[in-house]
Parts: sequence; C-alpha cells; structure tokens
Amino acid sequence: MRQLLALTGSDLLQRMRDKSVLIFALLVPLALMTVFNLVFGAADDLEIDPVTVAISAPADDDLAPMLTGVVRSLDDADELDVTVVETDEAGARRQVEDGDTPLALVVPVGFGEAARAGEPVTVEAVRGDEAGLGAEIVLSVVDGVLDQVASGTVTARAALAEGVAPADVGPLVEQATSGGPAYDVESGQASDEQLSAGAALVAGQAGLFLLFTVSFGVTGLLVDRESGTLARLRSMPIPGWVIVAAKALVSFVLGAVATGVLLAVGGYLFDADFGSVPAVALLVLCAAAAGTSVMFLVVRVASTSEQAGIVTSIVALVLGIGGGAFFPVSAAGALSGVLDLNPVAALLRGLGTTSGGGGLADIGIPVAIMLGFAVVMLLASRLVPDRGVLS
Amino acid sequence: MTHDVLVVDSLVRRFGDLTAVDEVSFRIAPGETYGLLGPNGAGKTTTISMVAGLIAADAGTVTVAGEPMTPRAIEPKRHLGLVPQELAIYPDLTGRENLTLFGRLQGLRGSELKVRVDEVLALIGLADRAKDRSKEYSGGMKRRLNIGIGLLNRPTLLILDEPTVGVDPQSRNAILESVEALSGEGMAVLYTTHYMEEAERLCDRIGIIDSGRLQAEGTRDDLIRLTGGVDTIRLGGSGDLAAAAEELRLIPGVERVDAERRSATLTVKDAPALVAQVVGTAADCGVTLADVEITRPDLESVFLHLTGKGLRD
Repeated sequence: MRQLLALTGSDLLQRMRDKSVLIFALLVPLALMTVFNLVFGAADDLEIDPVTVAISAPADDDLAPMLTGVVRSLDDADELDVTVVETDEAGARRQVEDGDTPLALVVPVGFGEAARAGEPVTVEAVRGDEAGLGAEIVLSVVDGVLDQVASGTVTARAALAEGVAPADVGPLVEQATSGGPAYDVESGQASDEQLSAGAALVAGQAGLFLLFTVSFGVTGLLVDRESGTLARLRSMPIPGWVIVAAKALVSFVLGAVATGVLLAVGGYLFDADFGSVPAVALLVLCAAAAGTSVMFLVVRVASTSEQAGIVTSIVALVLGIGGGAFFPVSAAGALSGVLDLNPVAALLRGLGTTSGGGGLADIGIPVAIMLGFAVVMLLASRLVPDRGVLS
Repeated sequence: MTHDVLVVDSLVRRFGDLTAVDEVSFRIAPGETYGLLGPNGAGKTTTISMVAGLIAADAGTVTVAGEPMTPRAIEPKRHLGLVPQELAIYPDLTGRENLTLFGRLQGLRGSELKVRVDEVLALIGLADRAKDRSKEYSGGMKRRLNIGIGLLNRPTLLILDEPTVGVDPQSRNAILESVEALSGEGMAVLYTTHYMEEAERLCDRIGIIDSGRLQAEGTRDDLIRLTGGVDTIRLGGSGDLAAAAEELRLIPGVERVDAERRSATLTVKDAPALVAQVVGTAADCGVTLADVEITRPDLESVFLHLTGKGLRD
C-alpha cells in the first residue's frame, strides 16, 4: 500500500508541475463554458418586448369584439404585455406607418355576417418594421381564432347540406367554435432531469473534459514505457498491479477533483445550482470511475502516447457530444438506448435530478449506468490484445 | 563455496518468427564485471530484460542471488539494480525526489531512505543540485542520476544497459570510473555495450553475442587466443631492412618477418616484450628507424574472427 501511495503521490505531483493538467482540466473547460454561456446563455432569459396592437373593427359587427377580446386577453398571460388600441381603419394603418404600433388588425366589414353564412373570413394584418416576437405571438393567436371561426363555417355548411334545420345550425356552430382543443395542457413542474441552459453548459463541459483529464493517469503508462521508467518500475520489488493501480488512481483522483472544481466554479460563475452536495459528489466519483475505465481500453488500443492522445480525443468527443455536452441529443429506436448508456449523458441526467431537488435516493439509475459502463470497459479492455503496458 | 550472483541457463526468447535470444548461458560471480559485447540488435537488451524480470523467457532460467527470476517475482528483484539504456528518470521531479521515489519502491523508508539518498547524491556528484528538477540537468548529470537510482538498494547485481550511449567523453569516463569502483566494492555487474574499449577496460569476463547467440565468452586474453593470439611489429626507416630481416628472424619469439627495403612487418608472440630487442637488432644492422608500430589483436578482431563482421557493422 505504501508503494502504491508513493507512486500515486509522485505521479500527481508531476501532473501538477507540468501544468498540462491544469490547462486541460480546468482552464480550457472554464474558457469554453464562458464562451458558450455568452453565446447560448441568454436563451433561458428570453424577454418579449411589450406590444401595442391597433385594431379596427366595424362598430356593428357582433363577431369582431370577440377577436378584440381575445387579443386583449393575451395581456393576462405570463411574459406577455399586450395593449389594444381600438381605432378606425385609417387610424390603424397610420399608427403602423408612423411606427407608433408594430401591428394593426383590420377587421373587414361583414366579417361576422360572412362567418355566419359559412363563407371564408379574413382579417388584414398590417405589420410594421418594428414587429417583434410579441407581434408574432399575437398573430399566431389571431390565426388560431380565425381557424376556429373557419371550423364553425365548415360545420354550418355540413349541417345545412345534411338537412339540419337552419334554426338548429347555430348551436352546432357554437359548439364547433367554442369546444377548444381535444386535449388539456396542464401547467406544472418541468421534467426532473432538465438542467437550465447555464447548468447544462457547465455540466456538459465538465463531463466532456473529465474524459481528457483522466487520460493523464492511465495513458502515462505509455509515456513511462517510451521513457524507460516503466522498465525501471518493473524491475522494482513490487507487484505489477501496483504500477497499473497507481496510474488508475491518478486518473480517478484527477478526474474527480477536476470535475468537482468545474461544477463548483462553473456553478458559481454561471449561477447554476446542482443541488445536494453528497449526491453530486457520488455522481462525480462514478463519472470519474467510468472515465478512468475507458482509458484502460485506450492503452490497449494505442501503442504510443501520441496514438493514445488521438484515441482519447476521439473517445472524449464521441462520448461528450453523444452525451449532450454541447447541446441536447436525442435518438429513436435502439440508438436511443445506446445514448442512454453514455456516462456523460448519465452524469448530466443525474445532475439534472439533483438540481431539481433530487438526493442520493433519486440518482440510482445514472449511478448504475456509470458503474456498469466502468465494468464493461474494464472487461472489454481484457479482450483487446495487450501491447505490453498492462501485463 | 562462493555462489554465483547471476546464473543464466539456456535462455530463449522469440518475437514471432525471430529468435532474439537463443540458448544463452552465462554466470557472474560476486565482485565480477561481466560484459555482453555485441552490435545493435544482437540480443543484449532482450537478454538483460529477462535477467531483470521485465519480460518472460520462452525457455531457460535466470537465477539472481539464488532466487528464480520471472516478471512476477519479487524477492530476486530486491537484489537487483537496473540502469536502463534510456534516461529512466522523471523530468518533473528533482534529483532527490527521483531517488526518494525509487528508494521507497525498493522498500527503503524513514531515516534509512534519507541517509541512502544523501549517500547516492554524493556518490553521483549531484548533492548540490539535488533540489533542481532533473529536466534542468545536463545530459551527463541525467546519466549519473540514472545510474544512481540503480544503486539505491546496494544491489548484489547491477545491470547497466549501454549506459554511455550518447554521452560526452568526460561524462563517459566518469561513468566508467564509477563502474570500476562499484566492482571493486564486491558488486556483481552485468554490463552491455557495443563499445569494445569499454568492455576491455571494465570487464573481467566478456560474452560476445551476435544474432541472439553467445558466440564465445571468457577473459579478454581467452578471447584473443581464439584469433591465434599473435601480435605484429611494423618497422619503418632508412637502411636495408630486407638485409636486417635475417637477423630479426633469429630473435626467439619472432615467428615471421615480411621485409622490404624501407619497411618490415614482424609476426611475434608478445610484441611489448620483444620490441626493445627488435629495435636494437635493427640498429645493429645499420637501420635507422623512423617509426615503430605495435598491433595487438583486440576484441574487434575477436568479433571479426567469430562472426565474420565488425562490431559496428
């Protein structure tokens, strides 16, 4: 045990001194987090500018007030600030031309009558140069209303064609236009596994760079072989497994510490709260174990440290991108199941759970996936012919 | 009865179709320096890799201090000090840290470790640079540290694999002096080299290896006898050397004289012992000598004799 600790401690000291670990494990991911946060971080804080809508409607049209009322009611919705200005047609157009309002709706004469007669109905929308997302939302809602009116028209025509008495058509149309969608949308808590945009960037980069960081330990066996120190170590009176275990321990410690620091610093800088510290710590340890296990496969496949660096980059990018380190990834069928087994995806899912208030009891699946991944990688590395560093 | 520190018996190692080491056997006694002399690719490093327990032999055995050596063996490695051909040191550690790490791995600890590290630092002349990272050392200093690590555990058997490759003449001489000193202290040394001069200077016995096979072994004189063991004395000067040849042939120990007017080449048994008499006889015959050159057979000649090629071919 003393020899294991001596070798591990010495290796960690060297990694700290050569600075490459600090650069790859901390500085680069923090820089990327900052850049990505500047680029994508505003997505969560989307603000819709207040919108004023000028509406012109014939005073004697009994259906037009319904349209005006719907638009006015949008002001009650969260995130929307809608003001309705009722005016005449010329006034509505002038307000848009003058830039006073971004949107004007002109309800034509005979709008309600046409609807009741089962004829197509239109509302003219006049958009100004300043029309933004708020105006687009209002227009979408108006489109929806007109669709409902159209469905009433279709209902009336169908009823009359089928011989329904004209007196009975009115209730049918009312039912068709006021029934609403055949489903309910219930507002509630978002998925427990959903990280905010900022937290997802922090967690994603931490997961991606974990795979680079752990390479500084195990793949050091290849560096030692090239420098001759592996031969010297093997001539020492210590079991061969001590050498391999020391490198694995270095990978694990570097991976766990770097990931923990990235989550803590990234969380502080970008206002991301990952929740329960014990649960997050367990996730980080499992992710470090999974990442370390991959390196055993890498040193089996690569015959030089240079090759190991290339293979590590490929593995890290594939697992990182596939795990959602840069953006959410989804797939259908069997591929979906494969993506779920990605340790980076499992780490992000676990952190999503903890950030949503989950604790140790709620992260069983991501923990099992990461540990299972580690076991599979270790077994797989035994199947690949050894090139001399692990035997 | 003195037991050999190292016994190598019928060692074989193959890499695919290539037999890198083929039935190699030799022994090293305490205090003896044994040289494995051969060109690059002869099988020297593969042989010592098996001796040091770095790789397994396909056949044959290695015994170090009475313990069988295999890659998994622990006990025989306690008696071993290995100095690989490469600079097997950690550049980001200081000289002291390198020694301390490998000392710990050798099982040293506490005050024993500290004292031994200090001793070795003094021995290799790095005491005043002990706190500097080894990547800041000169090439010669790195070589000395590389050797120092091999000495930490006071090994019974020290293996040096071409320790002077790529070393400047001054450092090379220092290394050779160190090896001579260690051998004088009773340490058995296995020294591989393709430099004939080093083998002649350091080694009590030499094994000549080529194409994986030990072609011959023995002391320098034993090996030279294999070539016939004759020296040559070449004379050049003014006067009639051809006429003097008759007198030179009469000197006991002179086996043959090939003479021309201005030069003569004598084949003799022991040139240093005869050269004074040869020079005197030539002078008595009226020859004024301008140069006298003695050529003795060396290990290069032996290697050429045994393998039909030069050591550096």
